[in-house]
Amino acid sequence: MNPAVATDQGVRTKSNSAWLEYPGVAGRWLLGGLFVYMGLTKALHPELFLKLLRQYDLTNHSLLLNSIAAGLPWFEVFCGLLLILGVAVRGTALLLLLMLVPFTIVVLRRALAISTLQHVALCAVRFDCGCGGGEVLICRKVVENVLLMLLSCWLLAGFGRHLAARFSLSKSP
Amino acid sequence: MRAALATLPIWPVRNVLVEALLIGVAGLTIALVANALSPQGLKLTRNYSPGGALTASRSFSATGTNAVATAQFLAAQFRSEGLQLADSNLVATLFADPKKDQDLVVFIDARDDDHYQSGHIPGAYQLDHYHPESYLATVLPVCQAAEKIIVYCKGGSCEDSEQTAIFLRDAGISRDKLFVYAGGFDEWTANHQTIETGLRNSRQLQSEKPPPGDAAIAK
Repeated sequence: MNPAVATDQGVRTKSNSAWLEYPGVAGRWLLGGLFVYMGLTKALHPELFLKLLRQYDLTNHSLLLNSIAAGLPWFEVFCGLLLILGVAVRGTALLLLLMLVPFTIVVLRRALAISTLQHVALCAVRFDCGCGGGEVLICRKVVENVLLMLLSCWLLAGFGRHLAARFSLSKSP
Repeated sequence: MRAALATLPIWPVRNVLVEALLIGVAGLTIALVANALSPQGLKLTRNYSPGGALTASRSFSATGTNAVATAQFLAAQFRSEGLQLADSNLVATLFADPKKDQDLVVFIDARDDDHYQSGHIPGAYQLDHYHPESYLATVLPVCQAAEKIIVYCKGGSCEDSEQTAIFLRDAGISRDKLFVYAGGFDEWTANHQTIETGLRNSRQLQSEKPPPGDAAIAK
């Protein structure tokens, strides 16, 4: 007999969803742990992150650049902790997507510029992208980021509820 | 397949958007407070990158392939900021100058603590312009009394040396005595010059001898 669980859509059975829930929890912890680690690495040396940010030529406005370099690492740590604890998971996953997508685009854009200037293959380009892991091969970083985006999408779809302190801030599940 | 799809939870879009907005606002507030409380935190209103043209010139030098054109371009950009460029010959001459022992020729290392302590030009003062308050009381009087000041960082695309030189210039040090060693510490060690580890004047000197191949070529 399968115990029933009420959702926005109606009723679904626990045993049917369990096979997707445990990988969801593992994914939530993995994504959360990665963001805490990457955020702390940058938060402890924000001036290094600021130097790396300047490489992207996003803006010359010092207040804006300083705010990103000072705030983004702690914001990542905050989001990572929420995922690990299982609080507001879908909202947090959406925010991670909103950070990962533009960041991956600017990394790729810079990699393409270097590839053109130095006449090397795109996948041979390596630099410190400000991701918190030092100098990396950019192709590898892009693949990693795409996987993290997929993981975020999975959590956004509502998986990873098991062992979550408060999966959703709203009253409905 | 249909059963698996049926198990997929739907996500109420409005709730997720509101949740993301709440988390975003709370996260940004916490992030800015954490930065303000952190001893390593950045001052949001400070311009950490004075001399925007020099930043562009360093990027050019890091990606350029023509060494002569790159050096000329760098020198022109430095002149536009009122700074003088020092090459390795001038730096070696100034390092050997007896005035260095009287602090009339001063070397300033613009890198952070970890890099400075793992090796710097012997006798160099440290001035990390991201955290100047820790160094200014020592460095500023020395720079005011000096005849020549050579500022360096890692070299390559590192911009800290020119930004520190501009910082010193803005603090009232005459630009006529400020030199930027663009080759930086990487070039210094590549030239097998002596380095000092630990604190300034720790006397922990290391002299890197050239590999045998280089010595044979030199002969």
